[in-house]
Amino acid sequence: MKRKGHGFKQSMVKLLGSGKNQDLRIALFCILLSLFAGSLLLLSLGKNPLIAYKSILQGAGFWPKARYAGHKSMLTDFLSLLNYATPMVFASLSVAVALRCGLFNICVPGMMIFSGFLATVLVGYSGLPSFGARFLVIIVGIVGGSFIGSVIGYLKFKFNTNEVVVSIMFNYIISYVVSFFIQTKYIDPTTRQSLKIGDNARLTLVDKVIGNLKIEIPLVLPLAILVVVGLWFLFARSRLGFELKAVGMNRKASRYAGVDVGRTMVISMIISGALAGLAGVSYYLGCYASIQPKVLPSLGFDAIAVALLGNSSPVGCLFASLLVMTISNGTTYMSSTLNVLREIASLITGILLLFSACSAFFKVQANRWAQELEDEYIVNMREAPHE
Amino acid sequence: MQEKDRTLVEFRHITKRFPKIVANDDISLSIRKGEIFALLGENGAGKSTLMSMLFGLYEPDEGEIFLRGKAEHIHSPAEASKLNIGMVHQHFKLVQNQSVTENIILGMEPVKKKLGVLSCVDKKRAQERVRSLSQQYGLDVNPQDIIEDIPVSVRQRVEILKMLYRNAEILIFDEPTAVLTPQEIESLLEVIRSLRDGGKTIILITHKLDEVKEVADRCAILCRGKLVGVYNVKDISTRQMASLMVGYEVSLDVEKARHSFGNVALEVKNLSVFDNDEIKVVDNVSFDVHEGEILAIAGVAGNGQVEVADALAGLLPVRQGTIVFEGKDITSLDIRPRIEMGISYIPEDRQDVGLLLDYNLGNNLALKTYYKPPYCKNGILYENSFTKEGDKLIKQFDIRCSDGCATTVRSMSGGNQQKAIVAREISLGSKLLIFVQPTRGLDIGAIKTIHDRIIELRDQGKAVLLVSLELDEIMELADTIAVMYNGKIQTIKDASTLTANQVGEYMMGVHHEA
Repeated sequence: MKRKGHGFKQSMVKLLGSGKNQDLRIALFCILLSLFAGSLLLLSLGKNPLIAYKSILQGAGFWPKARYAGHKSMLTDFLSLLNYATPMVFASLSVAVALRCGLFNICVPGMMIFSGFLATVLVGYSGLPSFGARFLVIIVGIVGGSFIGSVIGYLKFKFNTNEVVVSIMFNYIISYVVSFFIQTKYIDPTTRQSLKIGDNARLTLVDKVIGNLKIEIPLVLPLAILVVVGLWFLFARSRLGFELKAVGMNRKASRYAGVDVGRTMVISMIISGALAGLAGVSYYLGCYASIQPKVLPSLGFDAIAVALLGNSSPVGCLFASLLVMTISNGTTYMSSTLNVLREIASLITGILLLFSACSAFFKVQANRWAQELEDEYIVNMREAPHE
Repeated sequence: MQEKDRTLVEFRHITKRFPKIVANDDISLSIRKGEIFALLGENGAGKSTLMSMLFGLYEPDEGEIFLRGKAEHIHSPAEASKLNIGMVHQHFKLVQNQSVTENIILGMEPVKKKLGVLSCVDKKRAQERVRSLSQQYGLDVNPQDIIEDIPVSVRQRVEILKMLYRNAEILIFDEPTAVLTPQEIESLLEVIRSLRDGGKTIILITHKLDEVKEVADRCAILCRGKLVGVYNVKDISTRQMASLMVGYEVSLDVEKARHSFGNVALEVKNLSVFDNDEIKVVDNVSFDVHEGEILAIAGVAGNGQVEVADALAGLLPVRQGTIVFEGKDITSLDIRPRIEMGISYIPEDRQDVGLLLDYNLGNNLALKTYYKPPYCKNGILYENSFTKEGDKLIKQFDIRCSDGCATTVRSMSGGNQQKAIVAREISLGSKLLIFVQPTRGLDIGAIKTIHDRIIELRDQGKAVLLVSLELDEIMELADTIAVMYNGKIQTIKDASTLTANQVGEYMMGVHHEA
């Protein structure tokens, strides 16, 4: 009965099979697999993967570097990581909320630009006192994003349009319309980007001098963590979350049970949009202070894979965002210390995103193997006494 | 000696196991050339598994299959086909928008060379062969018809032709009469007889005793994976067969007190419903259901019965006509208000509509009340209430589940899934209960439980609307029978004034009464 590959299957099932924390185990497996694939890539370039990964950790502020430039330390690196991770947390949560309701929101980049542009134009150049300005930026971000979300949701609900197609189209419409306004009205001729916003409206405190360090402080990070907790509560304990998940599992059955499926989908797209809007303002008015015309932020697309790696759960998305941004931030330092091209360095981020998008496949495969082994086990039990 | 020569298929000590169940336990039997051999048993008795091994879908864990005196290991349906074995499945495997001939030759198209080089399908030759086979066995199939235009009974004959075209000698029929009306069943049995007289060997998988009695020569009875025995059909009564099949004495009749109707609970007037393709599926239908009445709608699948039920539950919009429930017009009411007014609905598709398979049992048992106390207060859910209320229903309705309320519904058996739906819908305390195909695919024990529940509800003074394709079920339970054909009600009469055959004729649209 013992066939080739039997032992392999058995250990894979033990590792990834159903049971406690299966989703977590699979996520960790995806991460390890991508690190392994990254090692092969680095080895083929003649670099030591261990040193490379160490330098990634150094770049991200988890491990001390050999030398620091003036006003820099491990803390500044780490805070810079958090600064760049904040929009990713919002963006991946945005994708996750829609996914839970069975919708694929691929419009996160478009929503980010839209809300970022609105906030830039309405508040960014206003010169309002900083507290009010920042508060307004956040509000505009939420409203802008949820507006786009509600349009997509409404089209789905009213005309049953495919939300993926609408989302893709919206990405381009928004990107080009916003570019038109930036290039005709708000262009900075030297940088070819939109005019820099005032520091009063910026959601990240930059070059804040504390001691002898110049650090960045992401002001909306606490909000991101609050949102993670809020969404956890929504999915685990609330009526709306119950309906959202039900619609995501099976629309027909939800309708039969009396759930207003259309309304639930619109609400989920509004929440998803609001989160994408927050990602937009924390990206364009936080990490950066201007908008590059005609470029969709790749962070919005990466967020899809991050949400999958985080298994669409709020806490999972938080950690997945931190991980992906660690690698993405750390590779900058790696490329300079190990003298590999920056493109190669970002390839490692790409590999991680690729493998995390495959997590569902690993789950299905592990469950299938578990079933096969169980079949064989029962047969063997019956045959054992004869041998 | 002669008997032995005629043996065509022989199963020797066949055992097949699936996780947690032994589907076939040491089964030995032989089938003779040129006979109609019936395999009798309840759902899950192992009939289909045994035949699937002959057809190459599974391989036995132990034992061997002998064909024409030679041990054969059949690994795939293609190999079975080469050994002249054919099977008509319960669900037909036909391409809807292709012609009869195209379906039959699919996978073994006769090829001719055009201009000596270009190979292309020789449709003409295939068509001639299909036509002559159809005539030889009296199948009456036009090889040029498109599958989606022909009725179910003809599609079944296409499946038969498919086997004959592949020179099958052993023909396996898996529950062939489940989708047919009494008249269609009659003509199918006729076809089966003519196939036998033409020298074919027929294996009939079924749980319908009358058919076995009428057409089969011998029958094997399976019960929970074991072979009970092989009998000559003329030496055994249907009652004996039934008790051997179930493993204990059964009363096939439902005990039912005389009905006493109360007020009109549901009044449907001139109802017309269109489906998504703008086709009129329900055409000017009117009927009343009283308290304490079981109104059964009979009909061949796809004649608008399910759409009537959907329209009553609010799942399909009503184009014309009115629905009055408890004196109130609910024609354009939303789904949830209807549930709250007291309409329970056990839908046809339990897995895709009636349940959320990935939610746990507790959530599913509260699927229509989760938003109300004690489950939910101010938009916040209380897990404890789900468990507490769920446990009560699990106990009361004897729902078998591995992990109580935390069991994922997907992992439960079909019978228990159905019990969960019935439990939920009854617990709503509704005045009107709509049952669509409530016992499809369940075993005799579970069917009996559900039938008893339905009668019990009627006796409590509830109004019950039953939609079923099983004529037996309708004849057994109904106080009033309505028959639908082509979206119209053909007749609506007191059940005691109709025989099964008359209902069958109405189902075929033979009679029409306004």
